Amino acid sequence: MAELTADSLHAVATHDDHGHISEDEHNSNMKLGLWLYLASEIVIFSIMIVGYIIFRINEEDIVAQAHDELGVALVTANTFVLLASSFFMVMGLRAMQQGNRSGMLRWIGLTALGGIVFLGGQYIEYSELAHLGIVLGFDDASAWSTFGMRFYAPTFFHGAHVFVGVLWALEVMRRGAKGRYDNNPIGIEMFGLYWHFVDVVWIMLFTLIYLV
Amino acid sequence: MAEATHHNSGHHSNTVRLLGRKITVEGGIYTVVFGALALLTVIEVLSAEFLKGAIHDAPSAAATLQAIKAIVLLGIAIIKSSLVIWFYMHLREEKPLIAVVILLPLLVATLSIMFLLAIPPLGYTL
Repeated sequence: MAELTADSLHAVATHDDHGHISEDEHNSNMKLGLWLYLASEIVIFSIMIVGYIIFRINEEDIVAQAHDELGVALVTANTFVLLASSFFMVMGLRAMQQGNRSGMLRWIGLTALGGIVFLGGQYIEYSELAHLGIVLGFDDASAWSTFGMRFYAPTFFHGAHVFVGVLWALEVMRRGAKGRYDNNPIGIEMFGLYWHFVDVVWIMLFTLIYLV
Repeated sequence: MAEATHHNSGHHSNTVRLLGRKITVEGGIYTVVFGALALLTVIEVLSAEFLKGAIHDAPSAAATLQAIKAIVLLGIAIIKSSLVIWFYMHLREEKPLIAVVILLPLLVATLSIMFLLAIPPLGYTL
């Protein structure tokens, strides 16, 4: 019989006879993978943000006029909705970690609802902006079109992330209802990381695009 | 949720120490952080509107006020983002490697932005 050492005990703890890794290690790897994905997202969003910042510095009058047209009431309400959905998300994870499956489903459901309301608000905002003539305008270089390009690229890309997040939340609820996360809530934690990241991006976009 | 009261340690606790005082609230630190995020957002919007008015009223000091506005608002946004990352994304409980993974692209992005901002609007002329 092989001699038991601290190293061999650690090996037993993290790998079974078939070389499978332990649950803790699996969870840790999953989270690292998602953090790396989020790191790549930071670079993508940064490109769009820097495009807006350069436009903001060079075209102060256009941006000031756009701010007057945009207003902050709707987007502030939308920001509160997204912040609240982030709170609902973390409460959902907390509920599952405490073994409260129905509580988790309730909180994640509210998270998805928050995402849907946010997208509804964004749709209303885009409709108002289109009415004002702030469009993408691929075929003209008017002031509004150049602003529209810089405005829609990051906000729509963010909105697309919210949409994916809503779908992911619904999938988490479907799996959660079947008891998939009763013993290991890593799936909820992964979705949570994504959703909070989307919230962080919006915190920056809200400040940079609507307030500064 | 009755079970929440059974967990009184770490991030499951409903009791939070804030400014030297113990506060008991459903959700514990998560609820406190949400309250802070909401409050900071209100301060941010009010500051933006106030400074916008100040810039309008004093065009001669517009550049200075605009710089102050940008610094104040971005400072608040960074605090809000840090709260979400630290508490909601549980960075405080993760290994230092995760912090490196997220800080490295932020550093690269910040340096790239500063580099791009240094380029004159119409490009360099010889």
